[in-house]
Amino acid sequence: MPRWMPSYRSIPSALIVVLVGLPVFAALYAGIAAGDGATWDHILQNRLLPYTFTTLLTLLIAALIMLGLAVPVAWLISQYEFPGRVFFSWALILPLAMPGYVMAYAWADLMGVAGPLQTHIRSLTGLSARDYWFPNLFSTPGLAFVLASTLFPYVYITARAAFSMQSLATLEAARSLGARASDLFWRVALPVALPAILGGLCLALMEAAADYGAADFLGVQTLGVGIIRSWTSFGEPNTAARLALMLVCIAGVFLVAARWIQGGRGVQQTSARWLTPRRIQLPVAAAWMASLFCSFIVLICFVAPVSRLIWLATETSTSTSELLPLLRSTLLLGVFGTAMAFIAALVFTLAAKRRNALRIATRLMAAAGYAAPGAVLGLGALFILRETGQALSGTVAITLLVWIYVSRFTSAGVEPMQATLDRLPKNLDDAARSLGSRGILHFFRIDLPLLTPGALAAGLILFVEILKELPATLMLRPFGWDTLAVKAHAYATDERLAQATLPSLLIVLAGLLPVLLLSWRLSQTERS
Amino acid sequence: MTYRTHIIAGLSLLVGAVAACSNPSEPSHVQATPEAPPQVLTLYSSRHYDSDKELYAMFEAETGVKLDVREAGASQLLETMKAEGDQSPADVIIAADAGSLWRFKDAGLTQALQSDTLEALVPANYRAADNHWYGVARRMRGIAYDPNRWDAADLAQWGTLAMEDKAGEICVRSSSNIYNLSLMGELIHRLGNEAAQDWATAVVANMARNPQGGDTDQIRAIGAGECSIAIVNHYYWVRLGASDKAADTQVAAATSFLFPEFSEGSGSHVNITGAAVTATADNLELAEDFITFLLTETGQSYLTRETKELPLLAGAPLPDGVDRLPDFTASDTALDVYGENQAEAQRLFDLAGWN
Repeated sequence: MPRWMPSYRSIPSALIVVLVGLPVFAALYAGIAAGDGATWDHILQNRLLPYTFTTLLTLLIAALIMLGLAVPVAWLISQYEFPGRVFFSWALILPLAMPGYVMAYAWADLMGVAGPLQTHIRSLTGLSARDYWFPNLFSTPGLAFVLASTLFPYVYITARAAFSMQSLATLEAARSLGARASDLFWRVALPVALPAILGGLCLALMEAAADYGAADFLGVQTLGVGIIRSWTSFGEPNTAARLALMLVCIAGVFLVAARWIQGGRGVQQTSARWLTPRRIQLPVAAAWMASLFCSFIVLICFVAPVSRLIWLATETSTSTSELLPLLRSTLLLGVFGTAMAFIAALVFTLAAKRRNALRIATRLMAAAGYAAPGAVLGLGALFILRETGQALSGTVAITLLVWIYVSRFTSAGVEPMQATLDRLPKNLDDAARSLGSRGILHFFRIDLPLLTPGALAAGLILFVEILKELPATLMLRPFGWDTLAVKAHAYATDERLAQATLPSLLIVLAGLLPVLLLSWRLSQTERS
Repeated sequence: MTYRTHIIAGLSLLVGAVAACSNPSEPSHVQATPEAPPQVLTLYSSRHYDSDKELYAMFEAETGVKLDVREAGASQLLETMKAEGDQSPADVIIAADAGSLWRFKDAGLTQALQSDTLEALVPANYRAADNHWYGVARRMRGIAYDPNRWDAADLAQWGTLAMEDKAGEICVRSSSNIYNLSLMGELIHRLGNEAAQDWATAVVANMARNPQGGDTDQIRAIGAGECSIAIVNHYYWVRLGASDKAADTQVAAATSFLFPEFSEGSGSHVNITGAAVTATADNLELAEDFITFLLTETGQSYLTRETKELPLLAGAPLPDGVDRLPDFTASDTALDVYGENQAEAQRLFDLAGWN
């Protein structure tokens, strides 16, 4: 059969594409088919523009912060030797273990008017809260900062991998031609690494756009907040779903824009010498500056908020006995969800490898799920539940919840694998095929080994993301399946942040192991 | 067979495995002895208190009935029930706001529970006129304020917050919070849309800062000197006074609390935690037993001990710390009004620029 003909072999991947996209589109369909609610006019006339503007502004500031933090440290760590380089290379990934809403609790507590910093300022100066200026975390830039500080590792990971895997030949050629370090960065390394950096940024921004917890807590009126408000205050989940369409569109634009830029400049490494360039020892002063810069980021994005949480946790007595079952269901759901989302991501990646037409469609489908807030996917799941006439308990609930995890996070798994594929010479695959490699054997002999670094990163990222997931878990978990995130949320909505810290810390702790594994694996990849 | 077919096969296997491991903590009903299956009452609750769990355990121990509890936000529970339709296992809904209970009733998810016992226990203005829900505890929205700055008389009515002398003095949380919506619901009911919106606009102009955080944060902001008036539910102020942190108890001690009226003699805004029987519940007797249990002295004490809500049962012991609250007369507005006006309340808040 000619290669270009649609074959029965594409049916399974098409099925998975549908599976991943269905909850989003179910929610959107329900929102549009149900007709205009009384609220829709009000939202359209008075709120849609402010919500959209605030969201875009948040994303813009967050993008600048993330690029400003991640790209320089990725460059430093991949190219130079300085004190603490090895430590920072993995410590900079740690913030990924922090859910955005937990980061918001911690920073709001630290920076709030009644928090330790401002209280000290007042007791030292004798001023009242109205007499001095203090950065206001409860603002659009504040939200952007909170989201950027948990999500920048996505950019850092991809940027670092891209810088590390650059063809030694290219960099050495540039150096031998007398390029200065800054030229090397701006004119050689950055353009080559740009597609990967944009891929990571795209992922981080989609995640930031879907946030509800942090924005709501900080009182910033993003689309995510508007969606939940349409649902809870106005009692119109349909209007919520329509607003979610806006987020999905924003994500689609990001993705297409990133693809377009990537397509224009995609640099495929054909040289076999994509070994790590030898790192250059920085002069003493510069080396310490580099260390200081990295320490500052680790301090702000991880150490300070986590220390505050630990401090708060020790201040209050919380019963720890009931945390074990929470940890168990968190881990179980995490493992189930990761396994399924991983398979979906793998199928997506491999399908995209073969057919360029399917490629952007699958990417968009996964992105739609990733950009939609978990609550909207939850609504989609409830729509499916209604159509099937089932009760939300036991097997049905778990299946739905895991399905939503797949729909929500597949994109987070596709990106790292895709990034790995993009860097591989296409001719490896062709060579294997010309030697008669086909089907399942081709998968195990060629695809899997080649994909391994990206696949591992994908699995770990998926696991951490699912651990942190709140809205869909809250809506769909069956009886007796409370997770750590659900518990932390219960305490937090009841304004008992001190009690919320212990389950929050456990989420961070549970996320640390995979994050550390991820760091270790990334370092291995660089060395090999 | 290609590897993708294998993947599909693996996927189906995993779904099966997940299904087989269903619910680790819930004892399987299938294993119960066939002659005496335990009665199960399924609760959908929007409350998340540890003391509730103790209360449920006591009910289970006393009656031998097993309680299945799903805790989530009221809106989420509502959509879940709508989606489940006839299949819904829910028997009783507990929601911490009269407006939410109205939503369940409005969606046709509740049924009337005629009960002489409950009607005798719950005063008429704390239950639905058609018996679709019963209040079980009271929660009051009021004002915590700095007594060095204001006398109680300056804040005796909600309208005083709209006056110019309060400019830059008010701290309050975001308008989508259900307690703000219910308060606005009663204002709309009493003043009409236009005057209610004017009130909200004036309050926004008097705010010390953008709405943010929770109720407790507003009271703490008084302590920090950022504002002198905080619109909050009474129990957050009481809990702050009972906190084991010195900074919190100091703030509570340095502030006073009052329950403003709408006009002189109108009474103060009251909200409730209430329970409703679902339309799909078939064992009404068991549901009634459970709600009645919440209204016993034990039930009331567990419901309010940790939350610091006010008991609804006359003569039930008060939780620690509420004795600092002033006396009040409750408004006689039917609580269903909060739900009926909720969407309008949010719309007016939006127009008033109350984030």
